[in-house]
Amino acid sequence: METTATEELEVALLLEAIYQLTSYDFREYNRPSITRRVHNRLALEHLPNISRLTEKVIYDEKIRKELLNDFSINVTEMFRDPSFFRALREDILPRFKKLDDIRIWHAGCATGEEVFSVAILLTELGLIDKATLYATDMNEDVLERAQAARFPIQKMQNYTKNYMLAGGSQAFSEYYYTDSHFAYIKPELLESISFAQHNLVTDQSFNEFHLIICRNVLIYFSPPLQNKVYKLFHDSLSRGGFLCLGAKESLRFSDIMPKFEETITNEKIYQKIYD
Amino acid sequence: MRFLVIYDSLKMLYFINLERKVGNNVNFKIRSKITSGYIALILCLIIGVIVVGFQVSTLQTERNKLMTNTAKVQTLLSTLENHTLNMNRSQRGYIVTGKDSYLDPYREAKANWEDNWNELNVLMEGRPDQQESLDSVKTHITRWIETAGEPSINLKRNNDEAGIKKFYREEVGRSEIQSTMATLGKIRSDEISHLASEAKKLDNVNNKIVFTLGLFLFIAAIVAIFFSSFISKSITNTITGTTAAIRHIAQEKGTFTSRIPITTKDEVRDLAVATNDLLDDLENREWVRSNATQVVKNYQGIDAIKQLTSIFLSQVARITRASYGSLYVRNDKEGKIFEQQTSFANSYTKIGRETIALGEGLAGQAALERRVIHLTDTTGYQMISTSLGDMPPKEVIILPITFEEKTIAILELATVNAFEKLDRIFLKEVVSSLGLTINSVLTRMEVVQLLNESRAMSEELQAQTEELQTQSEELQTQSEELQAQTEELTNINEQLEERTREAEEKTAELEITKSDLERNAEELIQSSKYKSEFLANMSHELRTPLNSILILSEMLAENAKAENQEEDEEFARVINSSGKDLLNLINDILDLSKIEAGKLEMIYEEVNINELPLYLKQSFTHFSNDKDVVFNVVKEDDVADVIHTDHKRFQQILKNLLSNAFKFTEHGSVNVHLYNPSLTKEQQRISEQWLAISVTDTGIGIPKEKHELIFESFQQADGATVRKYGGTGLGLSICKEFAQLLGGTITLDSTEGEGSTFTLYIPSLQTGLPNNVEMPAESIFEVPSVEETPDATQTDMPAIVEENFFKNKRVLIVDDDERNIFALEKTLQQHGMIVDSVRNGRECLNFIEKDRHVDVILMDIMMPELDGYDTMQILREDMNIELPIIALTAKAMKSDREKCIAAGATDYISKPLNLEQLFSVLRVWLTTEVM
Repeated sequence: METTATEELEVALLLEAIYQLTSYDFREYNRPSITRRVHNRLALEHLPNISRLTEKVIYDEKIRKELLNDFSINVTEMFRDPSFFRALREDILPRFKKLDDIRIWHAGCATGEEVFSVAILLTELGLIDKATLYATDMNEDVLERAQAARFPIQKMQNYTKNYMLAGGSQAFSEYYYTDSHFAYIKPELLESISFAQHNLVTDQSFNEFHLIICRNVLIYFSPPLQNKVYKLFHDSLSRGGFLCLGAKESLRFSDIMPKFEETITNEKIYQKIYD
Repeated sequence: MRFLVIYDSLKMLYFINLERKVGNNVNFKIRSKITSGYIALILCLIIGVIVVGFQVSTLQTERNKLMTNTAKVQTLLSTLENHTLNMNRSQRGYIVTGKDSYLDPYREAKANWEDNWNELNVLMEGRPDQQESLDSVKTHITRWIETAGEPSINLKRNNDEAGIKKFYREEVGRSEIQSTMATLGKIRSDEISHLASEAKKLDNVNNKIVFTLGLFLFIAAIVAIFFSSFISKSITNTITGTTAAIRHIAQEKGTFTSRIPITTKDEVRDLAVATNDLLDDLENREWVRSNATQVVKNYQGIDAIKQLTSIFLSQVARITRASYGSLYVRNDKEGKIFEQQTSFANSYTKIGRETIALGEGLAGQAALERRVIHLTDTTGYQMISTSLGDMPPKEVIILPITFEEKTIAILELATVNAFEKLDRIFLKEVVSSLGLTINSVLTRMEVVQLLNESRAMSEELQAQTEELQTQSEELQTQSEELQAQTEELTNINEQLEERTREAEEKTAELEITKSDLERNAEELIQSSKYKSEFLANMSHELRTPLNSILILSEMLAENAKAENQEEDEEFARVINSSGKDLLNLINDILDLSKIEAGKLEMIYEEVNINELPLYLKQSFTHFSNDKDVVFNVVKEDDVADVIHTDHKRFQQILKNLLSNAFKFTEHGSVNVHLYNPSLTKEQQRISEQWLAISVTDTGIGIPKEKHELIFESFQQADGATVRKYGGTGLGLSICKEFAQLLGGTITLDSTEGEGSTFTLYIPSLQTGLPNNVEMPAESIFEVPSVEETPDATQTDMPAIVEENFFKNKRVLIVDDDERNIFALEKTLQQHGMIVDSVRNGRECLNFIEKDRHVDVILMDIMMPELDGYDTMQILREDMNIELPIIALTAKAMKSDREKCIAAGATDYISKPLNLEQLFSVLRVWLTTEVM
């Protein structure tokens, strides 16, 4: 699809409007992919051009929400970036063995793949009974899908490979059962997980956590918004608690950096300084 | 003329004024000299012009008078003549006519002539000869009047004709008239000669004027020459004198002692005075310059401030004849305090203050404002001592010595005399160069001091440098580390770019996949429509026999007590036949669904055509016997003995065709004809060898418009047909599908009520139908086929799907335990899988070598000969086998799992096997990867 100069301008204006209205900053985000999503929405709403969509986005909250849904790219997989999960397994989670209960917050859990991955790690480390995993996302549709704990069976091949690379100590097939279309996460794993709707931009902290995982969520946020969310994370962490970010994110240039130290730089794992 | 006179008089006035001015000025300047010369010249010219002008004017007046007189005289003479003649004529006229009117001219002339004569007489005054002539004229006229005129008139008046005649005879008065006329003529000619003589006189006067003019010009020239020579001489004399004096001064080469003598009182004197002033000034300057040079020369090369200032001061004092002197030099960087460096006093006592602050006293003020203070009133000032006593200084001068606009020293001098202007100039001169020298001396002294300090510091620096050296080496190391990190970052960056590119490619692929999916979705909708139609038809077909079975079996149950055996037998028979129908129907449905699912594999083998007629006879003769229908099978001789095709399906097609033929034929015949068909190009492309089998009956026939419809599922000619003849209606559909699967076709030729001919064309294919060859059916016979086979794994028929998921999937079990193999084989076969088993790794390799068409391998680890790890490694690395291998490991050991993965296992599962887990894993790895 060829984008004309006019269309580029229209997309820019649309993203600007969204930024002004919601503080979600998609302006720097990969433009062709955004444009494609916008076109999908245009087709669904039967609108002739992007400017009309912008108008709708400004006045119609429902459309705005739907477009944001289109934009929030819930690309996730189980044991995504296996080295990160290996680091969690080998370096971070064992530190919680002394604790009586472990609270973990998955902010922006999307369809839950990573939550289940952490639950598997905790199971294999024998910590699952002490742990509570809070999985939150602002998008309720996505949360619903996460709670179903069901994945197309085709994805399991890749997940199996990731699991092995992340240092899984059992057979991955022990954590799911299948029918011909789907693989289902076994209910035992879900027992420790509680799903809830939470908006990082507008909602407050709701507990004190030993570990906060928020990967590939903040890359869509503008720097000021990122700082705000980082502050929320800092407030929600216990002393010496850990914050894990996505591979393309970093605390390094944020205001909050002085209050953290890098535990494992390559995996973007930070520890809140005891103070 | 008048204008010229006015102009001349104005000029005169101007020059007279000038003359007066010149006269007043004793200093007779060059300009005045030149001016007076010109004035004298101009005066000469003016006088000349006036004299000449006057003469010319007189001449002109005289000439005018002359000309006027002459003219008047002429006129009067003429008038007089006229009067005389008029009187004469008039007198005659009267005498002749006697009319009084003729006398009028006479009377008028008689009254006027005397006036004219008097006038003439006046004009002729001074000329006695002419006046004498005039007197004679008067006498003649008067005599005529007395003698001739009056008497004759009186005679006439008295009519004295005799007197008149007498008068005429005597010619009284005639002589008078004649002499009058003659005298007047003489006067006239005399007058003309008089005019000529007068003119001659005027010419003489004119010549005189010309001469006077020439004389004046000559005098003017003489005067001009005289004045010019005098004036030029007086000017050049003074200038030459001055020039000589200047030349002399130039020859003196810088001493400027001689002066120009002042002799004249003109501008040259001013020049001389100015030149002398210049010379004075130059002499003064020379004095200042030479003294200043001397002073500077004397203090050059001195690099101590005390010595410098004392030499300077003593010399300056001597030259300016000062009695006291004191010199202060700035002693700090800020230049606020000035310290006395040296003093000079005729009395040899110490004089002056030790220090002066900036702005303190007159000296301080001079330093602050950087201006010279010259005091001439010095009452109460320090006494100047001599050996004889003390006396007050007369003048004091304070000079600030500056460098780059800052006062760096102060010089104060006092004298008992006075500081001449020259002295002051000199002082300013020397002071200006002293500033630079003092500064350089001070700087030099500072430099020396700094040098000493820096020597001390450089030793310290040496030590620090060594320390720095060490640090710099450390930095070097760090920078190299940074370099390395940068390179690493660059590498990472490149990798990232690479990944981005891959992602973009993937996106493009996804786009394509998406459009594929959309197309598939559409097809799915289409096929789902077919499916529902199919189901609707099928449920009817199923319900019919089921209904009878249910009812009959219910009745049979009720009859159990009644013990009506005959009826029971009948019921059982019907139930049996219904069951058979159902079975047939279900078989047909299964066949069709297999075909649609694409799961039906054709097995090509040799089929003996020679035996076919016999087989058909055996199979269908009883139908013909039952129905009184003749059944013939004819085989052409040139038909090949053997063709290659799927034997089972081939037979099924023929059976179906023949069953139909017998079913719809009540009497007549059913003929089967085997022959070699003539081939189209399309057919030749598929195979060289074809077989045609036509089945002709004499049954009810099929209407033309239904020829195509009957090949569709559940379509017979009409509903009544079904009731009458039974059958599932699937037979022909299956035949058509099978024929297509085998690469062949079925055609129909039928007339309603007369019978039908179905002809099967089938190719001989040794290796099956090539994939890329299109079925010719549609293009040749335009029989609409069932739409493309829908994907069985994605429909809303889970039971069949599940059945099909594992069905015909080939699994290879590699295990040394017979019991394990047996158990696994049974379970997997139950799910429709095709199971092969081998006892160890070696056998596994051999098996795969021969037959790679395996979907998944279940690999035990602990085996004799070649264990699971090595087997997997060889499969993966040496044979490049990519199919999924699921390792079966003993429970526990994590290291085993890692070894499995390292060896190339796709997944692993622990023994003893959990069947559900096993099937989960199989589902995962048998799913065609979409991603």
